[in-house]
Amino acid sequence: MAERPEDLNLPNAVITRIIKEALPDGVNVSKEARRAISQAASVFVLYATSCANNFAMKAKRKTLNAADVLAAMEEMEFERFLEPLREALEVYKKGKKEVSDQKRKEKEKKETDNDKSREEEDDEERMEEEPEAENDAEEEEVEN
Amino acid sequence: MMATTVATPVTPTESDQGRSVSEEEPRGNEADEESQQTGPVASVTHSRVSKLPLARIKALMKADPDVSLASQESVFIIAKATELFVEMIAKDSLVYAQQGKRKTLQRKDLDNAIEAIDEFAFLEGTLD
Repeated sequence: MAERPEDLNLPNAVITRIIKEALPDGVNVSKEARRAISQAASVFVLYATSCANNFAMKAKRKTLNAADVLAAMEEMEFERFLEPLREALEVYKKGKKEVSDQKRKEKEKKETDNDKSREEEDDEERMEEEPEAENDAEEEEVEN
Repeated sequence: MMATTVATPVTPTESDQGRSVSEEEPRGNEADEESQQTGPVASVTHSRVSKLPLARIKALMKADPDVSLASQESVFIIAKATELFVEMIAKDSLVYAQQGKRKTLQRKDLDNAIEAIDEFAFLEGTLD
């Protein structure tokens, strides 16, 4: 599926909601403006990814991590994002820990030994081969 | 109650300690209503759920041929950053609408903001 990266739009409803919450009541947004903002958001993702990936490659890492993204934000002159992003990351990490602690407790309640070997099999996933578990039917593998 | 539905384990979280943890990605962030705070209190920082679907963000990231692997955290942070970006560009464009005494944000307001604001320079020539 040779989709242009720019064609991968973010859901209109979500973009609209973010815009509306950012603007004062009584302000409207034209369809064209909304579409352009959505497009701009996609370009932002592409640019930020590319920038972050440069940091990963510089550090000879194959996996892009959160620190790379934060470094990219600084490089792109979006320093104002750094603090809120760091906070969001903390909340995210805490939440993930809670989920995996919970899952572990549940597993221990049931069968232990059988599940342990399964956990160890989880490797890093190559993005190209990654099985998409989400129900996002519209999502296609991008063949490079 | 955990509203986060769990799917198969995906990319492990790349933490600073270099730990490889078996992580399970919250599936379908579109459907995850747990932290969807509405109203003016809705803060980007307090939600560990992204408004933007991580699957779509990841698909965009995959479009870059130089990108091989990305941690779940990095996908999440890019999603959050994109939220902040949308907020920022909407607010900055509004200034131009207000200058024109309009209450409706139009495409030209966006174009003006992109031209005037350094951080948006990367957008020049990219929008239809």
